[in-house]
Amino acid sequence: MNRLWWTQIKAVIRLEMKKTFFAKRGLWIYAVAALPVLIFLAYAVAMSNQQHRSARIARESQKPLSYQDLLAVKSGMTKEEVVAILGKPPLDIHWTEHRPTGPGTFEDIDHERLQYSDGQNDLYVELSHEKVEGVNVQDTYNLGQDAIVFAGVFQFFFLRLAIFFGCLGIFMNLFRGEVLDRSLHFYFLSPIRREVLMAGKFLAGLLATCTIFVTSEVLQTVAFLWHFNPHTRDLYLYHHHGLEHAAAYIGVTVLACVGYGAFFLVAGMLFRNPIIPAATILVWEFINPFLPALLKQFSVIYYLKSLCPVDIPVPPGSTGLLALLISNADPVSAPLAIIGILVVAAIAIMVSSFQVKRMEINYTSE
Amino acid sequence: MNDRIVFEEVSKFYKEILGVNRVNLSIPPGITSLVGPNGSGKTTLMNLMTGLVKPSRGRIQVLGINTDDAENLFKFVGYSTQFDAFPRGLTGFQFIYSYLCLSGISAQEAERTAWEAIQRVNLVDAASRKIGAYSKGMRQRIRLAQALAHNPKVLVLDEPLNGLDPLARAEMIALFRASAAQGSYVIISSHILHEVDVISDQVILLSNGYVVAEGQIQTVRNEIQEHPTQILIRCDRPRELAAKLFASEYMIEASIHNDGRGVLLKTKDADRFYLALNQLALDGIQIESIAPADDDVLSVYEYLIGNEEVVR
Repeated sequence: MNRLWWTQIKAVIRLEMKKTFFAKRGLWIYAVAALPVLIFLAYAVAMSNQQHRSARIARESQKPLSYQDLLAVKSGMTKEEVVAILGKPPLDIHWTEHRPTGPGTFEDIDHERLQYSDGQNDLYVELSHEKVEGVNVQDTYNLGQDAIVFAGVFQFFFLRLAIFFGCLGIFMNLFRGEVLDRSLHFYFLSPIRREVLMAGKFLAGLLATCTIFVTSEVLQTVAFLWHFNPHTRDLYLYHHHGLEHAAAYIGVTVLACVGYGAFFLVAGMLFRNPIIPAATILVWEFINPFLPALLKQFSVIYYLKSLCPVDIPVPPGSTGLLALLISNADPVSAPLAIIGILVVAAIAIMVSSFQVKRMEINYTSE
Repeated sequence: MNDRIVFEEVSKFYKEILGVNRVNLSIPPGITSLVGPNGSGKTTLMNLMTGLVKPSRGRIQVLGINTDDAENLFKFVGYSTQFDAFPRGLTGFQFIYSYLCLSGISAQEAERTAWEAIQRVNLVDAASRKIGAYSKGMRQRIRLAQALAHNPKVLVLDEPLNGLDPLARAEMIALFRASAAQGSYVIISSHILHEVDVISDQVILLSNGYVVAEGQIQTVRNEIQEHPTQILIRCDRPRELAAKLFASEYMIEASIHNDGRGVLLKTKDADRFYLALNQLALDGIQIESIAPADDDVLSVYEYLIGNEEVVR
């Protein structure tokens, strides 16, 4: 690449960035990117409240409890036995159930729920007729479970929907939006090669999508870790690959922007109606797990899934179809996945280059 | 480098619709006007010249440069289009400045050149305002500034005087003349011949996608006058009328209309024909109607210059 082209690319990027970041029609992309952050923030607030509540319950206990104490309660015990182990419950709820026993006859059953906490884990003891019927221990710090939820949100919402549609909104409009605005001739009347213009626009789109979605990803991670205590957070980040996972998610986000960006750049040039290519690519990405091995390779999600740092376990009892969708039956190695995405993107960019050279300004036909 | 703008057998079709057909042109330096009614192919010709559309057939070269080669072409060409749309949110200055930056020049040079161009079109006061708030005339002028900004050798201007007040028109015309005097190629389109014939060194007359006349303004006028005109006359004795008119030297062809109630005449001197026809009417032939039988160059010309200049 010669110096002139690079100067021209920078000029295109400057112009495009202003349009992309401050365009009213692109506001929904910010909303889509912010949605998972809001979800994790809401979750963090809810968990934080629950932790405060657990801490309060733990303070109100007759004696300091350990996790082992909470696990000592079993079904079939009497209330006295429970109180003997854990002390007087800080929270004790009573209610009576009128259970029908026959036509017009009822039996009154006394229920009671006791709640204990060690400050981090809550114990719910369900009693009926003074006997323990059910025991439920809930962790307020279940990092493993939360990491899987985070991975699920990342794979099934952030990658497949937020970044997908965000890239659609930005990259499809790089040329198509200007055709609709009838302002594309501004670029076509400049002493700039069409391929250089396309490279500039692609990089501008990439910079915009990466800024929006990487920021979102970083904020999601911060929100996700917000409610953990500093000790748990440090343990996760520095001893349980938390930092590596965060870096991997950012890397996958960037690669998703590259892959989907290239796809939508070419789609914006080949199709007048964005709904058709968007729906086609969405379906193509969705059915990827069911495709033959060769066809799988012409997809972005195929490579991205392999790069995601946390595998999502298939819920027990899931149907074959759902299990296939969730699991990554045929993963590729990380270097191969990165090269695969870059190759798919390069092919799409080459098609775009060819297409942009053939483009004409004929706004009346749009 | 070739010193002409050359069209060789150029045709452009928008699917089934004809843009221009079999155009052969060799445009020299100076002011050249493309004149024709709306839809005659003026803008298509300009878009072809600047590579905004590709020819369906034929070849175009601007000073020896292929119109596909935007990187080199627009070093020499500036085009003020009729498209009244601009990149969103830009001020007049930013519009010109961004355009210049795209050519790869430094920010300082782009800024200096942009202000020069804005001064040339007298838009300094409005330069820091958003283009969206400009009047039609101001938008026209900022487009001209864009076309002029890099001092191109070839200036292509699509209806450049549209929306300008008389003073601004005079200023713009002076600008075009100054450019042409420096050896530039100034290509102007207009649908009114009056507007451009005084300033044009040559005129290209277009109708329905065809170049119907080309050359210096006087040559075009003569060419049009020599072009045969077809006229359909409805009368009670068509055979007698045909025989009498055909005897005259300015008649080329006479034929009885299919329905037998009229005569189709082709003349190369419409003025003398009409005088003779008046005489025949006085001799007793009942003439019901006289109508031009084709959409020929004369009718195009008549449309362009206004009826008062066609002497009949």
